[in-house]
Amino acid sequence: MITTNKLTKKFGDFTAVDNLSLSVKEGEILCLLGANGAGKSTTINMLLGFIKQTSGTAEINGLDVARNPLKTKEFITYIPENLMLYPSLSAIENLDYFSGIAGKKLSPHELTAFLKESGLQEEAFQKRISTFSKGMRQKVGIALALAKDTKVLLLDEPTSGLDPKASNEFGELLQKLKNKGVAVLMATHDLFRAKEVASHIGIMKDGKLQQEFVAEDISLTALEKAYLDTMNYKEVLS
Amino acid sequence: MIRKTFIKENKELWRDGRVRIAFAIVVLLLGVAIWISARQYQNINEQYQIAENTERAIWDNQGEKSPHSAAHYGTYAFKPKYPLSLVDQGVDKYVGTSIFLEAHKRNEAQFSAAADQTGLARFGDLTPDFILLFIIPLLIILLGYNSFTKEREMGTLTLLKSQGISPWKWALGKWAALFFPIFIVSLLLFLITGMVLSNLKDFGVFSWQSLFSLFLVYIGYYIIFINIVLFISLKAKKSGIALVLSLSIWILACLAAPKAASNIAEAKHPYPTRQEFAANVLKDKKNGLDGHNPWSKESKMLEQEVLAEHGVDSIHKLPFNFDAYRMQKGEEHEAEIYFKHYNYLKEQYSKQTNLYQSLAVVSPYLPTRFLSMAIAKTDYTAHWDFSDTAEDYRIATQKFLNDNFAQNSSYGEWSYQADADLWSKLPKFSYEPPELSAILSTNVSSLWILGAWITISFSLFLITSKTI
Repeated sequence: MITTNKLTKKFGDFTAVDNLSLSVKEGEILCLLGANGAGKSTTINMLLGFIKQTSGTAEINGLDVARNPLKTKEFITYIPENLMLYPSLSAIENLDYFSGIAGKKLSPHELTAFLKESGLQEEAFQKRISTFSKGMRQKVGIALALAKDTKVLLLDEPTSGLDPKASNEFGELLQKLKNKGVAVLMATHDLFRAKEVASHIGIMKDGKLQQEFVAEDISLTALEKAYLDTMNYKEVLS
Repeated sequence: MIRKTFIKENKELWRDGRVRIAFAIVVLLLGVAIWISARQYQNINEQYQIAENTERAIWDNQGEKSPHSAAHYGTYAFKPKYPLSLVDQGVDKYVGTSIFLEAHKRNEAQFSAAADQTGLARFGDLTPDFILLFIIPLLIILLGYNSFTKEREMGTLTLLKSQGISPWKWALGKWAALFFPIFIVSLLLFLITGMVLSNLKDFGVFSWQSLFSLFLVYIGYYIIFINIVLFISLKAKKSGIALVLSLSIWILACLAAPKAASNIAEAKHPYPTRQEFAANVLKDKKNGLDGHNPWSKESKMLEQEVLAEHGVDSIHKLPFNFDAYRMQKGEEHEAEIYFKHYNYLKEQYSKQTNLYQSLAVVSPYLPTRFLSMAIAKTDYTAHWDFSDTAEDYRIATQKFLNDNFAQNSSYGEWSYQADADLWSKLPKFSYEPPELSAILSTNVSSLWILGAWITISFSLFLITSKTI
């Protein structure tokens, strides 16, 4: 579903993403860990077609993103760190609009069903987004993924700033989507959540995928150690 | 996507308290402006009817009188108030409402509304055209300046782009959403105006067709502003910058450009001063036949010509009163002089207008204003047309009176008095303003410029939307 092959992005002399090759299949969650500036968000932006790669390829559902920028977006739902919706519209109105412009014609009944499935409380459906917490907005984002029948979910620090309960609920929603066959790529700093939800975990530094693990095969403690080692490894060399 | 965005944008607009307040203010101002203008229109029309009937009654009831005394006594041509002046008063306030028609002299229109006011008139009036030309474009700016910048600032643009939106369709949805409330406000204004005018008595030449044309002109004007405001919102990085830029365009287009154009036109093709004009007319008059002076060289030449033509050796033997004949010839000479000098004024006005219209390429306000005043029949062209018709009537009146004098009296018989029923035989002054089609054909350049503004600004907006 998500494939990058020697994906590289340079901003002048600075290499933000360096020969990145990764793959996320249907029903898999790949969590990319890394410090700020590691290249996680740049990778997601290239997969979204927001920025053009310097070299290499990025593919969604077998289609080259650079060549098919609009077609590939049909398969994608993107939830950034701070999902911003229209504050004067209600949750259901926001969902109706965003799914509508993505080409989905949904009845109010269906919209309500997707919001329910996302875990949003029913009394919030008709409330304006301006009254929503970040966690509630993220749930509307998940409802959008459900409404779009999305194949690929790209998440950029989605649990950052969420309280543990909201973060846990978000993790559960990701599992639901995974079980529906959605390929998820999540950039995060949250080792605990990554270990809990991911199928695979990659550690990025200096635009490179330094290490990759099968989540089942590594304990949280080992993951933390590997992360810290990776972060310090280059410093020791330098 | 266009429909979805249109609905979403309108929901957002109506839920914004500031927008609701702005709308309420504009609608209230429009209501007050229409009410004030309708009252003024009705009052002036009543005055017009009374003045016209009274003046005609005075003319008809002069009794036995010398036709030449009647010619000097004179009468008035009253300028009708046109129904669409309720929407656009144009230059009506400044050009006078009636022209005194007398022997030997073409007079300017007098009794302008502005002359009846104090210095406070400089503050202007609350009229529908003020709201239509200045306030609604401001409303467009208020509603649309952050149409695109807010998407960037709120972060919703990222989510939108990730949905694979078609930029131009999305932009078109926003365009339609901004156009819709403006269209509704304008439609309401024009419908109310039409209904008010239909229900006022003496609404004379009111036509829904003209009102609809006026409506289309203003809709075109608003489309241009919508295009410009949204184009700026597309290009600007922040809402504050978009607002300042949009307001700057409004100031330039609506306030600075018309005044600058007026100054340039006046400087390039100046009107003679009133004193110069009067002196030039007097000078030319002296070089021709004076109907009152039988001893002048021109009078003697005329006398010889007429005697030769009729094969007699004395003006006493002519079959008409030569004094009256000479006065008529004098009138014709003076009419030619006035025609020449007023034509020069018209030429200057025409040059000024052409220059003014060519400057319309720098501001959509100018062609809109021209068309609005023209369709409302409150522009200078309409005034000239009325003034020329009044002059034709004056000339015809003088001929009617001089002919009566000449045919019914003999040379030297200055004591001749026409019958009391003569005056009512003079046809009443009537003025038919130009038809809408004629007005539009004389203002075709303004229509083209307005069309060009619409096309270019909309293309620019659509092309820029692709860069979202």
